[in-house]
Amino acid sequence: MEQQGLRMTEIKPGPSLFKRNPPIAGEAEAIESAKAGDAEAFSKLYALHKRRVYTLCLRMLGNVSEAEDMTQEAFLHLFRKIGSFRGESAFSTWLHRLTVNLVLMHLRKKGLNLVSLEETINPSDDDAPKRDFGSRDPQLTGSVDRVALERAVASLPPGYRMVFVLHDVEGFEHNEIATMLECSTGNSKSQLHKARLKLRELLRQPEQSIRQAGLKEAAK
Amino acid sequence: MTSQNSNPKPPATISCAEFQEQLPDLFASGGSGEPEDPCLVAHLKTCENCSALVRDLQYIADQASLLLQPTHEPSDNVWKKIQEGLNSDRTDEAGQNPSHS
Ligand SMILES: [Zn+2]
Repeated sequence: MEQQGLRMTEIKPGPSLFKRNPPIAGEAEAIESAKAGDAEAFSKLYALHKRRVYTLCLRMLGNVSEAEDMTQEAFLHLFRKIGSFRGESAFSTWLHRLTVNLVLMHLRKKGLNLVSLEETINPSDDDAPKRDFGSRDPQLTGSVDRVALERAVASLPPGYRMVFVLHDVEGFEHNEIATMLECSTGNSKSQLHKARLKLRELLRQPEQSIRQAGLKEAAK
Repeated sequence: MTSQNSNPKPPATISCAEFQEQLPDLFASGGSGEPEDPCLVAHLKTCENCSALVRDLQYIADQASLLLQPTHEPSDNVWKKIQEGLNSDRTDEAGQNPSHS
């Protein structure tokens, strides 16, 4: 009821849940069968979602073997907990949230302090928003393809990459990200902004420097 | 709203740095990076640097949906290990060991 007042203002719908998580044929049946312990149904759910879960892990972790381990963890967790799935959110949303939380838990166990990532990564980048961007540089619009973007995202510092993947790719809101990363929403907004600034910088550079940035990141 | 004049300077005097400081919130609120504050609107209209910046950042955000496509595939080994995990769960259940967690 409180929401009614908001209807006068133009509500820009976020990335539509439907578009991001379209219903999948046979999924609902597979979920019900999986709840009853049907092994075939597990296999079907895995086949339906393995690529997105794995891709998400890979982008968050930037490392194949860790991404595979976390994919395995995520599905084992899923199959053990599937009885508690009530269908209040889309299944894939539920699965992605579970995956993100497992990955974050894994990173914390490794001693990566996600809250302070901002301070630990390239302190000089904190000045980035204040920098004067030259208009003589080529415009990005229309020039970026998926491969170039994927490569640039992979070379982002981990903290920036995390927020960018969660917000711009996966469609989580800042308040959800803040909860998951245990930081403030302001922190999430500013991390996202810095991530996009960094991407702009990377995408405007010739390929070589992106690769160098990637190597620098990998060497850490 | 401001009267037309030949003065090329923005009517409100905010610097690029001040404008850019507002960007994280602008993007977060509207999603499009288009401000409502007249000072910011004026700056955006008159400053090529900042309008190019906003355009690029919006473009990057939009292009991110390209990455939603799951392009990577886990190796077959992952499913094998999941099955092993599930099988050992079943063995545990069958093993009449209710205290097992
Ligand atoms: Zn400016």
